[in-house]
Formats: sequence, structure tokens, C-alpha cells
Amino acid sequence: MTLVEQLRSTLGSERVHSHPLELLIYNKDAGATSGEVAAAVLPETTQEVAACVRIARDHGMPIVARGAGTGLAGGAVPEDPALLIVLTRMNRIWEVDDHARTAWVGAGVFNLDLSRATDHLGLHYAPDPSSQAACTIGGNVATNAGGPHCLAEGTTVAHILGLEMVTAEGDVLILGGKAPDPPGLDLRAVVVGSEGTLGIVTKVLVKLTENPPAVRTLLLTFDSIEAAAAAVSDTIAAGIVPAALEMMDQPMVIAVENFIKGGLPVDAVAVLLAELVGLESGVTAEAEIVERISREAGATSVKVAADEAERALLWKARKNAFGAVAQAAPDYYLHDTVVPRTKLAEVISQVYAIGERYGIKMLNVFHAGDGNLHPLVAYDSREPGMSERVRTAAEEMVRVSVAAGGSLTGEHGVGLEKRDLMGLVFEPVDLDAQARLRDAFDGVGLLNPGKVLPRGARCYDYGLNVLPGETAS
Amino acid sequence: MKLSLGPSSEQLDACVTCGLCLPHCPTFRITGDEIASPRGRLTAMGAVADGRVEADDTYAGILSYCLQCRACEAACPSLVPFGQMMEGARARLAERRPTTSGRIRRLLVGRLLNMKWLLALLTSGVALIQRLGVMRLLPRRMRLARGLRRQRVFPHSAVGVHDLSPAVPAGTVALLAGCVMDQWFPDVHDATRGVLQIAGYQVDSPETQRCCGALAAHEGAAGNAAAMAARNVAAFDGYDYIVSDAAGCSAHLKDYAHWADGGESVAARTRDITEFVAELIEEGRLPRISRNRGDVAVHDPCHLRHAQRIIDAPRAIVRAAGYNPVDIDPDALCCGAAGLYMVYEPDTAEELGRRKVEQITAAGPKTVVSANPGCEIQLRAHLGRGFKVLHPIELYWQAIDR
Repeated sequence: MTLVEQLRSTLGSERVHSHPLELLIYNKDAGATSGEVAAAVLPETTQEVAACVRIARDHGMPIVARGAGTGLAGGAVPEDPALLIVLTRMNRIWEVDDHARTAWVGAGVFNLDLSRATDHLGLHYAPDPSSQAACTIGGNVATNAGGPHCLAEGTTVAHILGLEMVTAEGDVLILGGKAPDPPGLDLRAVVVGSEGTLGIVTKVLVKLTENPPAVRTLLLTFDSIEAAAAAVSDTIAAGIVPAALEMMDQPMVIAVENFIKGGLPVDAVAVLLAELVGLESGVTAEAEIVERISREAGATSVKVAADEAERALLWKARKNAFGAVAQAAPDYYLHDTVVPRTKLAEVISQVYAIGERYGIKMLNVFHAGDGNLHPLVAYDSREPGMSERVRTAAEEMVRVSVAAGGSLTGEHGVGLEKRDLMGLVFEPVDLDAQARLRDAFDGVGLLNPGKVLPRGARCYDYGLNVLPGETAS
Repeated sequence: MKLSLGPSSEQLDACVTCGLCLPHCPTFRITGDEIASPRGRLTAMGAVADGRVEADDTYAGILSYCLQCRACEAACPSLVPFGQMMEGARARLAERRPTTSGRIRRLLVGRLLNMKWLLALLTSGVALIQRLGVMRLLPRRMRLARGLRRQRVFPHSAVGVHDLSPAVPAGTVALLAGCVMDQWFPDVHDATRGVLQIAGYQVDSPETQRCCGALAAHEGAAGNAAAMAARNVAAFDGYDYIVSDAAGCSAHLKDYAHWADGGESVAARTRDITEFVAELIEEGRLPRISRNRGDVAVHDPCHLRHAQRIIDAPRAIVRAAGYNPVDIDPDALCCGAAGLYMVYEPDTAEELGRRKVEQITAAGPKTVVSANPGCEIQLRAHLGRGFKVLHPIELYWQAIDR
């Protein structure tokens, strides 16, 4: 039997796609790269996932796992033809323990659906990527996703207690568990952020967080990016870690305002969104300090969201920002680098300069609090040479971030997009260690091949030979 | 007028494939399948438009599985005009690859809906079936007839009814009678007329009007839709406002600019009855009943909430009628009616209907308001006994007319 026939006999024909148009629909995510899909399947149980893995393995067909396809780095885009295992139908919330504040959920559960489902218990799932309404918990685990509220709460890895995972052999493993410090090697933390290269996560045991008793959301405007950046680093230097601290520049605010029509300050050069959570008295005091520090840094106005509706509108504005970019151009390239907070203003001005030098349109929206930059380049890929120009500019932006002591990626993952830039932050010996870990899980390179680690990440590719216990010279 | 139907390359370019539409799409919610998502459908339209794939059965299936609820449009930060693009894509497909079932569907919504005598005959037939109690003998796809109100054996029409009073009206209103609305929901028209007259408007229902053409546009019968639009542009000429008490129709009238010459003027003068009346209540030109008569569940028709972004108006009307409006679904996912969809995709329509009923049951109220006829039929068919479903304007009319 062919691969597709065998998959059909296992899942039924409705949940196996092989028509050229269907495969074309599945060949990209929310980012800029597209790939090639041999077949796409929609399993509903862990056993079905395991069966698909075994079938693909028998046919020597690589496997790429996919959630809702909202990734921006090509993590779920197969570079060469592969079986795409789509996990969106595994969207059941299996068990919510409101005493232990944990939940076992299917990998295909939408991030926001989980928080909604636990809201009546006064609990939520803290990591909140901008795409949280559309992205899946499985995808969040794959990329170790962040989000505005990860400034105070930490990224996905801090909220995952256990995982159920199908291995490259088609076996089912349970990693971690409800115990705060599970015995043995902590494979759970190894798998979070591994972008589907170590196994296919099918169920996730998440930590739930108590809804804060009081929330204060501030909208601050500035007449320069530098002033806004100064307000960010001064606030944190003063010992206040807001739940979220987000920045948008003027072109971004204008594009979003076109969509939400909420009276955003379109005249400001930069806008900061700061959220403080905790007990009422603490929140009030902190809000006053943030306001004072911001005014000292040059804030031109400070507005506090009057009620939940106003607060929801501000967050809607922030979370829809990257999708609003088509108003500027048909394609976008969303960067994701991290710089030390103190270097924020400096790196941003370098990023603007790069954009100008390459003549590309840029909108900026970022998690200012943790120095996570998201310059958004809006371009038209049909313009000759444009895609290449955008890519070269992107690479330069990554380089200035890294040179300032930052990192390649804050939360979107490495995927295809950043793979070949890994050498900027890792020595060959570091990459080799990662490659060995990967080999330990998947010796034949069946799972998401060509992702995260550059080709030739193993030491022998570099002419080195590092044995366990030795260090590279 | 030369129709410039989408999807144009500018429209296709407007999608940056961010995926923020996905959770708002009812068919994606049910299937988890990108193929059944707005982003997937746009990719398919683009692939066919630039010749990368053929417009084959798979493509036709992808298009026809869409409910055209336009929830994706309201969620799209890049303002992709999805509804218009889907209508255009279906019209192009109908030209390029006509199928028998497609022809039947387009004949039904493009021509037969405009034959008043035929609709009247059908209505009489339904009335007899209701009186004989043989509803269960109908084939499954026709079971939605269970959701119909009790029909008159001799139906009456609002078309051609003119208003002679008052002497100096606050304004002139042309009431869109509609196709099934006119035959199957005469009480809603009576309520609309009654409420607007109290506010001092002269309400006519011009003879020369036709069905608005929304269903024809949705099914890809573009020629028929354009012809109906042209007739209505002429029929509604000179009125201050054009009011519809069916959300699907008011949404379509507001889209007339790309269906007929002079369509912009109709679009600009069109008001859904809910927004019109909510505004009159707000201005104090219609009364508020300050009494608590209990809870009423508010169902948001897609073409009211997503296509026209009207959310508060039906709630304001319920409140003014002395009831407490209760929300049933924060996402306002489609109930599965979606015009003819409930006939040709009964499985999906039933699943969506089942989910909506679950939400209504969880919310509590036994009275549900819906500002669109298709939704009302679907809700009544799925809710069964023990629930009352009506148009918010009827609730209000009953509250003030005593």
C-alpha cells in the first residue's frame, strides 16, 4: 500500500488530505516561507498519532507536526516533502484540577479557550502570545511561546508540568507530572521549545495561574521612541515589574486603529501599554510610580483604562497588530530578536536605520519590558529583488541585536527562518551538544528534519571531534 | 452595470495569512481543518486565480462548505473583504464549471424566490402540512420546516402596502418586504410598521421591489443578483430610509454599491430595523418600558453582528421592552442556518444548531430573540417545545402596544 492508502485505512479518507490544492493550503504557516507537503492528516487520539508516525516511518517519510499554523518562523513548514500531522482535532480539555491548579489538555486546544474554560474557577493560563485566540497549546510548547504577560510570569516552559509525547519510534511517553520536582532527568524542559524535533506532543499538563484581584492598564504616549524606551528601562530599574509592558510605534498604531476604531492616539510617535496586577493597594501605588517615571522620561499623556471594556480594547489593539500590516503591503516579515533592556533605544534606532538603508517599510511592535523586538517589515514579494532585500535587512537586524548582547529569537522559535543564523550565538560545540540530544530522541532524522539546527551542526561536520567529557578547543 | 466581482488580486493580497480568523470560523471550529478555514479558502481562491491549480471538484467543495457568515471579516485586522470575495469566487465557478446541483440552487434563489405566486403556493402547502401534523414525513433536508412559524393557508403580502398617515411624517421609509420574510413572517413586518409609525414615519412597501438578491449573491447567481439590485435601486428611489427587518437583507442592501448603478445611494440610506429603532429609543422618540419582565436570550445573527457590526442595538431594544438581555455566545458563531446551507450541508448545519442550543440552554431564558429569519427557523427547529423565538422588534412592539 502507498503511504496515503495506509493512512486512509487507519484514519478514514476524510481526515487524510492528498489533493494538490489541499496540500497547497497546508504548505505554509503565518510566516513568509512555504514548503512541500506529501500528505496531511488530522488524528484525534494519541494512538492515531502513533499509528501515523509508524506508517510514515515504514515509508521513510519525514514528519512535521502542526497546530493552527500561526507560527512565524516556519517551524511547521516542511522544507522537503513530509507527512504533516495536524493536531487541531485533539482539542479536548481532559481534566482541570482547581485545587492543584493544573489541567491536562490536548495539544490542539486554543490557548485562549483554556483560559476561558477555567475563568469560572478564577484561573487562567498565563502565557498569552498575540495570536492566543488562534494558536494551540501544542504549538506554544513547540516554540516555548512568550507573550505580553510573560514579562512577569515567564514563558511557556515555566507553565508546563508534564507532557505526553509520541516518539519517533511511535511509542508514547509521559514526561514530568504534577510533582513540583519530578525525579530523574527533566526531559520535559528539554522538549519545550524543541519545535517538534524530539517527538510529537499530544497532551500537555499545564500550570494554571490565579486571576489577579486587581488590574490597572495604562496607555502612555511619547514623542520619541527613545523617551518610551527610557521609560521602560527606568520603570524596571525602579524595581517594578509590570505584568506587561508593550510598545508600538506610530505606523503600527495607525494600522491597528484602522481596524479597531477605538480612538487610539495616532499622533504619538510611540505608545506604551503597561499593565499592573496584584492587590488593589499595590496596583494603585505602582501605577502612580509608573506614571511619574514615564512623565520624567518624557511621556506626553497617560491614560488609565476606565473599565474592563476599555482594557479589552487596548489589548485587542496590541494583539491584532501584526495582522493589521497588510494595510501597508501584501507580505510581512515579522522579526523576533531580544536585546538587553538598557540597549533598547540604541538597537531600535539601528533597526530603523537598517530599514531606511534598504528602503523598506517598517512598523514596530514589541514586548519592550523584556527587550523582545518585533520589527515588522511590510513588503510586496512580487517586486523584483524585494524578498532578498528584506531577508538581508532581517539578517542585519538580527546581527545588531546579537552584537548588543541579545539573542536570535525571543519566542517565535528558530524554525527555518533563523536556522542558518544559529552560528551567531552558538559555538560549534554548543550546536553539537544540541545535535546529539536530538539524535538521542530521533536517530534517523524523521521528525521535523532541517529545523532549528543548521545542517552540519554535528562536530564532525566542523572537523572537530568532541567526545563526552572533553571540551572543544 | 459591468459587475466587478472579486476576488481581485488586491483583495487576495490583503490577506497576510496571520491566522487570526481561524477561531472565529464555525467550520474550522468543527473540523480543525485548514481546508475549512477562511485562510485556507483564500489560499484556494488565490491558487485558482493564478492558475496554480484547477477549479475542480475539490475547489468547489472548499467554496461551498463556507457558511458565508463573515465572522472572519469582523476578526480580520487587515480588513480582507471575505464575503465579497467568496460571492465573486462562487460566481466565477458557476460560469466556469456549472453543475446540476449548482444550477438548481441558483435557479431557486435567482428566479423562483421572486415568483410570488410560487412562494404563496409553497406557504399554503406548509400551512397544510402543519395542520395535518405530518412534518416527520418530510425528508431530512426539509426538516427545517419544523422551525417555521405557523403559516396561514391564505398568506398575505406586505408588498404594495402604502401608508397614508401622518400628514407631516418625520421621514419616509421604504420597507423591504423580502422574499420568504414577506410570506413567512408577516407579523414581523406588522411590528416594524407599527413601531416606525409610532415614531412618526411614513412606511411604504413599494410594489416594484424584488427580493434583495442576497441569497442569489451568496450562491454565485451574480446575474440574477445584479438584476434584482437594479430593480430595487429604482423601487426605493426617493425614500429617506430603506429599512429591512431581516439582517441578511439589510447587510446585502448595504453591499449594493458593487451590485448596481446607484447602489451607493441605497447602501447609504439602508438601516437594519434594530439599529434604526435603537437610535430612536436612545433619542427618546420611542418609549422605554421600565419594568423587569425577565430574561431574554439574544442571538446575534451573523449578518447583523459580523457583516454590519451591530451588537448593542438588539440588546437596547430588549432592554427598552422591559426585559433583561442575556448573551449566549461571546464569539457569536453561526447557528448553522446560513440561507440555503442548512439544506445542502445538513450535517454541519445540525452540528452548529446543536451547539447553539446547548449555549441557549446553558444561558437559561426560554425566550430568544433573533433579527434574521433563517436563524429563527434554525433555532426553533433545534430548540423544540418550551422555547419562544421571535424578532426583537416583535418583542418591543408587543411590549409597547398594550
